[in-house]
Amino acid sequence: MPVSSADSEKTLASTADYHAEAPLVQGNLSFHDITELVTAHTEKKTPLAWWGAFSLANIGLLLLVGMVAYLFWNGTGVWGLNNPVGWGYAIVNFVFWVGIGHAGTLISAILFLFRQQWRTGINRAAEAMTIFAVMCALVFPTIHVGRVWAIYWTLPIPNQMEMWPQFKSPLLWDVFAVSVYFTVSLVFWYVGLIPDIATMRDRATTKVRRMVTGVLSMGWTGANRHWRNYEKAYLLLAALATPLVLSVHSVVSFDFAVSIVPGWHTTIFPPYFVAGAIFSGFAMVVTLMVIARKVYGIQNIITIEHLEKMNIIILLTGTMVGFAYITEFFIAWYSGVQYEQYAFLNRAFGPYAWAYWTMMTCNLVFPQFFWIKRLRRSVPFMFAISIFVNIGMWFERFVITVTSLHRDYLPSSWDYYTPTFVDVLTFVGTFGLFFTLFLLFLRFIPMVAIAEVKGVMPQADPHFYDHAGDGHDQAHDVSVTTPQDHTQS
Amino acid sequence: MIELPVIDAVPSGDDAKSPRTRFWRSVSQLERSSDFREIATNEFVPGASASPGGASRRQFLQVMGASMALAGLTACRRPVETIVPFSRPPEHRIPGVPVNYATSMPFRGALRPLLVESTDGRPTKIEGNPDHPEVQGASTALEQAALLGLYDPDRSQHVLQGGETSDWSAFKQAMGALPASSRLVVMAEPDSSMTMARLREELRQAFADVQFVEYDHATARRVSRGYAAAFGRPVRPVHNFSKASIILSLDADFLSPTDPDAVWNTREFSRSRRVEETGSMSRLYAVESAYSITGGMADNRLRLKSGDIGAFAAALSEALGLHSARVPAFADHAWIAELARELRAAGSGAVVVAGDHQPMEVHTLVAAINRELGAIGNTVTLLDAGDAASDMHEEMDAALGSLNAGNVDVLVTLGTNPLYDHPELASAFSKAATRVHVGLYVDESAAGATWHVPETHFLEAWGDGRSRQGHAAVIQPLIAPLYDDAHSAIEVMGLMATGSEQFGYDLVRGTWRNVLSGNFEKSWRKIIHDGFLAEDAFTAVTPSLDGAAVAAAATGLAGTSAPELEVIVRHDSKVFDGRFANNAWLQELPDATTKVVWDNVAAMSPATAERLGAESRLDGGKYYTDTVTISVGGASVELPVWIQPGIAEGSIQVTTGYGRSIASTREERKTNLFDLDDYTDVYGKGAIATGVGSNVSPLMQGGGRILSATVAKAGSGYMVASTQDHGAIEEEGAEVARRGLFRMATMEEYQANPDFVKDSEPAPIKEDWTDYPALWQDNHPTLSPEMQNTLYSAQQWGMVIDLNTCTGCNACVVACQSENNIQVVGKEEVARGREMHWIRLDRYFVSGDGASFEDPQMVLQPVPCMHCENAPCEQVCPVAATVHSPDGTNQMIYNRCIGTRYCANNCPYKVRRFNFFNWSKTLPAATHMAQNPNVTVRSRGVMEKCSYCIQRVREVNKQANIEERPIKDGEVVTACQQACPAEAITFGNLADPASHVSQARQSDRRYEMLAELSVKPRTSYLGRIRNPNPTLISNDNA
Repeated sequence: MPVSSADSEKTLASTADYHAEAPLVQGNLSFHDITELVTAHTEKKTPLAWWGAFSLANIGLLLLVGMVAYLFWNGTGVWGLNNPVGWGYAIVNFVFWVGIGHAGTLISAILFLFRQQWRTGINRAAEAMTIFAVMCALVFPTIHVGRVWAIYWTLPIPNQMEMWPQFKSPLLWDVFAVSVYFTVSLVFWYVGLIPDIATMRDRATTKVRRMVTGVLSMGWTGANRHWRNYEKAYLLLAALATPLVLSVHSVVSFDFAVSIVPGWHTTIFPPYFVAGAIFSGFAMVVTLMVIARKVYGIQNIITIEHLEKMNIIILLTGTMVGFAYITEFFIAWYSGVQYEQYAFLNRAFGPYAWAYWTMMTCNLVFPQFFWIKRLRRSVPFMFAISIFVNIGMWFERFVITVTSLHRDYLPSSWDYYTPTFVDVLTFVGTFGLFFTLFLLFLRFIPMVAIAEVKGVMPQADPHFYDHAGDGHDQAHDVSVTTPQDHTQS
Repeated sequence: MIELPVIDAVPSGDDAKSPRTRFWRSVSQLERSSDFREIATNEFVPGASASPGGASRRQFLQVMGASMALAGLTACRRPVETIVPFSRPPEHRIPGVPVNYATSMPFRGALRPLLVESTDGRPTKIEGNPDHPEVQGASTALEQAALLGLYDPDRSQHVLQGGETSDWSAFKQAMGALPASSRLVVMAEPDSSMTMARLREELRQAFADVQFVEYDHATARRVSRGYAAAFGRPVRPVHNFSKASIILSLDADFLSPTDPDAVWNTREFSRSRRVEETGSMSRLYAVESAYSITGGMADNRLRLKSGDIGAFAAALSEALGLHSARVPAFADHAWIAELARELRAAGSGAVVVAGDHQPMEVHTLVAAINRELGAIGNTVTLLDAGDAASDMHEEMDAALGSLNAGNVDVLVTLGTNPLYDHPELASAFSKAATRVHVGLYVDESAAGATWHVPETHFLEAWGDGRSRQGHAAVIQPLIAPLYDDAHSAIEVMGLMATGSEQFGYDLVRGTWRNVLSGNFEKSWRKIIHDGFLAEDAFTAVTPSLDGAAVAAAATGLAGTSAPELEVIVRHDSKVFDGRFANNAWLQELPDATTKVVWDNVAAMSPATAERLGAESRLDGGKYYTDTVTISVGGASVELPVWIQPGIAEGSIQVTTGYGRSIASTREERKTNLFDLDDYTDVYGKGAIATGVGSNVSPLMQGGGRILSATVAKAGSGYMVASTQDHGAIEEEGAEVARRGLFRMATMEEYQANPDFVKDSEPAPIKEDWTDYPALWQDNHPTLSPEMQNTLYSAQQWGMVIDLNTCTGCNACVVACQSENNIQVVGKEEVARGREMHWIRLDRYFVSGDGASFEDPQMVLQPVPCMHCENAPCEQVCPVAATVHSPDGTNQMIYNRCIGTRYCANNCPYKVRRFNFFNWSKTLPAATHMAQNPNVTVRSRGVMEKCSYCIQRVREVNKQANIEERPIKDGEVVTACQQACPAEAITFGNLADPASHVSQARQSDRRYEMLAELSVKPRTSYLGRIRNPNPTLISNDNA
């Protein structure tokens, strides 16, 4: 008997006992229902709405291509940069997108290791988001250099001049950190996809589809040996990806922390950046999932429980980030260094105070509403907050990058940075790139990890740990459906 | 020739009859025709050796060769001159090794002695003549920038007749045909040329009536007339500030590069400030309406309207007992009594100078005060320079009278531009049937002329003249005129006087045959080499004072007072009267005090602006200001407002030289929507000067420069580009002090605590920062054996900049620009903060110590790259494009740079400059020639910055290595150091404890900016000492 999610929410809300968690998949779905629910979207005729969204995203992508071409043709001067402010939108956007790209791997790897089974509903889409966000991020360091045709000099390619990159530079560390992160995330994502692609292969009706999925599923038959190998590989990759989640944004923060610019030269940056990245990444997952679950009718797989858990993480990391903001101020005062003091006062009360207070409001104040359970379970509310968090996190990077640079040591060099239309449209264009890729993902790849979700459904363990329970005192209040029941229904 | 058998030949009838087998090649051979015999005997086919008709090939080549050779001969316009094409180089000339020639730049009626570097036949750098006693190798921004003036792509290239392109021969013919009965008016600049003087006489004899107007729009001879009134004869005052203990400037910006004695004054003044050498220091009082660099150097400064300076001078001279005219306005002014006391006490060690825009009576009083104090002969030398002391306006009026009466046939404007200064004269000018304009540009006056002759640049033509103190000199050309039609003023004068073409070389030599004694050729060669005649100078005179004239001047001034709202028209410190307006280096040079580029502004104090309701809005780092209409008489000019502290209340400062209209033959650059070449091409919108600023000359119809004007707010939202002040002046000042960037003390404080700079180390970092090594210090690249074992590592270069003598005159900025191929980016890009100067002058206002926000002190600080030993820029470059050299400089490897801009972000001094666009791509061909061939022209996307003139260092390294000797101290001179007239920059080897720079670093005033960052700068500063009179320190006339 299918139970509506609204009913289950009600049930749960009335239960004071938090051990009695709602099942991860609701609506009393069977394995087959899951397969159908997810793969149908990759098999059905492309809906008109998808075409509409895809066209819109493509316009954005074209905008990006156009702006980059304009930049390459004319030079970095088309941006609003000037002498004290050598880094502007490009670096802000880079850090922003890399930050967004944190949630996916965190969900897949760290939550996997911590056996947070609720991750299964969202990990596929979150990982896809990670990969696409990192792709968007990679655009910026590439195009922001003055001589883009020589960008490969940042890579340690053996050459006849025996010229190596300069390994002391954090920018070089960035190159390694982000490219490793991207590679591992991609492999991790693909490995996770293999059983699902095999499912698609088995359901394929056209020859082309069979061929493509056949190749991509790498001969997966679902044999026991396959599963054993798969799960080992997945575990190893999760272990490999976990430190990367922490390292990549730490290294990105070194771009700032290793410099001597007041406002950048701060030891708090690595943890603060990682927390901020998780914060913004989860906010982006919420933004995307709130829409996707509705549009694709997968509310039973990505339930309000999932969203609430993510909101709790947003609340946690948002508070950490807010704490870091306050700590920075304290340390600036406590250090007695006049440059630091000025830099932070200038942030809060200088010409960019508007950006600073936008950041503070969005990142520190708004997530606090999630202390209220009703609000963190309200879909429209969390959607609004997630958007605010994304705005706030973009401004955090803007505040760090621009306000520190625009007034540093010598007052004679102080200036103001104003982005040009190219800056703005390039940023808008990366959303075009992101959504183009994300829409392709939604259209052609199972947006939920089918195999993993099935693995956390009660049916996956019909004997319920030999009736010993799952370690909790009480049994679930949802009846355990057996495969037999399922076939009957 | 081997004859081959014909295969399958068909035998003819003849052959068939022949007893013997016969082979043949063709029917004609067979027939033995005459044609064939001819062909057989001639080796080549017809036409191959001789053309079928007309001249043969050989004849053709002979004729063409001869005509080419002859054509080449005709191109040798001056076969006797020593300027020859470089295809046959002179002996001992090594291509690529520059040669220096002595020459001079005529400016304001005197020559500025120069030494010009010529690389492979083209001038590439201008310096002061090191042997000349007046400049001693130094120069100002104007001389430095003159190089670009030579290669100005908008220079006039053709003779124009009635605006149509003509040529020199047509002009020659027209001038040759002038009847002797012609009545001429010649308007020429004040000129010290002996040849010109000779030609004037010749011209007078050649024509029935010749009127000369010595057209000196800039000063109208107010100084010489003032002094002439005081002493009864014209004398030229030269100020020996080095001997002075008390200096009073009455609205005189004697340190400005446009001052006739700029280099002399600056060096002399700086020598009076060398506190270590003498133990004492001069005291400079400045009474001025605007903030000038002289005011910035002042120990006590009084803001006073320029219109009140006359009364101030009268009151001061009264207090000194020169006359008895009472000046009620200054009856009990604190400054008068104190100044009189100080001047008296200093006696012959005192010197008073007045600004050349002040009326002649002020100069009369100044002359009298100097005389009264006994300064004449000590701090003031009066030279018998033969200056005219008549009123220029009278000459001008007389000429205009003749013109209006129709009594002038030919009007010649020789290197002058009267129709820019006086547009209202166009109708009078048009009364002369023939109007000849000789000038560098097709400018305002050229537009009103029937003939325009392109004038040669002084680096292209022979000439002569005298320096300010009378050393006769020859102006030697460095290059043949870039344009065939270009002729010098003396050549045009010679042509007009004789009716036939005269060559400048012959004219000058002709004059000098009478100047030089002994073996002429030998002496001529010597003067060409030296550039000037050392033994020949004006004699100093000590004339007696005409007391009556002084009293009359004082009485005249005693009752004067400044109008409620005065407008002061000053000549611009960069473009002067507009003659340098088409020079992009000067247009982009930040004004020393306002830091404004590419504009002239109406500068006023905040209170005056408030009174006018004018505002300046800072938006996105750019200034959008209101504009005001300034009306004097019938003329009015609209100018943007620039609010600047330190200007006298009710005084509005404007400068000449802008609002030029110069015709350009170059096409406007227009590119596609996606291509910004039209935006980045500074030269792409016609002539540089056209459309920049507004012409304020019409305001000066009466000839005076202190005007009573009505000023009203006109518009708003005019964008003014400035290289500094992108906001928060008040905060800046406070931060400068907190950060110990500019350290100064009064003389008393310095004597009490010679270590004041150490005490100004920013709190709370009082510990010795050297105890904290930098991150990468232990394996600093310069410690590696590879670096230690090079030839270069013996020298460790360093620089010391003395803030006590630096006046902020901008000479170093342009010198650096010229030496290092620094590109110009235009107004918009400067407003966006993308100027490229490698050395800049940071200006800060200082309040406190009796100075307020409205009336602060002003300091200027040159900031080049500090060449940090622990350079923060080097550590962050991902591709090692900025690295340390074995001799301790921080180098930019342009080839390697990919343009991440991380280095610029991490530079605490913000001296790195990024090429946001490809600035050299759109440079006109002519301007390419101004580039220094020893310095890479940077392309887009790379970082650049001061290199300590590494190309000069390497040149000396190379030479010393060839000669197998160590490098001598002072052998390497950076461009900024070489130009600096104040000798404020010392550069040399820090590894040598005896070097000048090591000595300078021993000074107790030495400090390093931001040293507490442990970046270990190689550039040090010497703290500024002020020597104020404590009794006047808190005075504010407001």
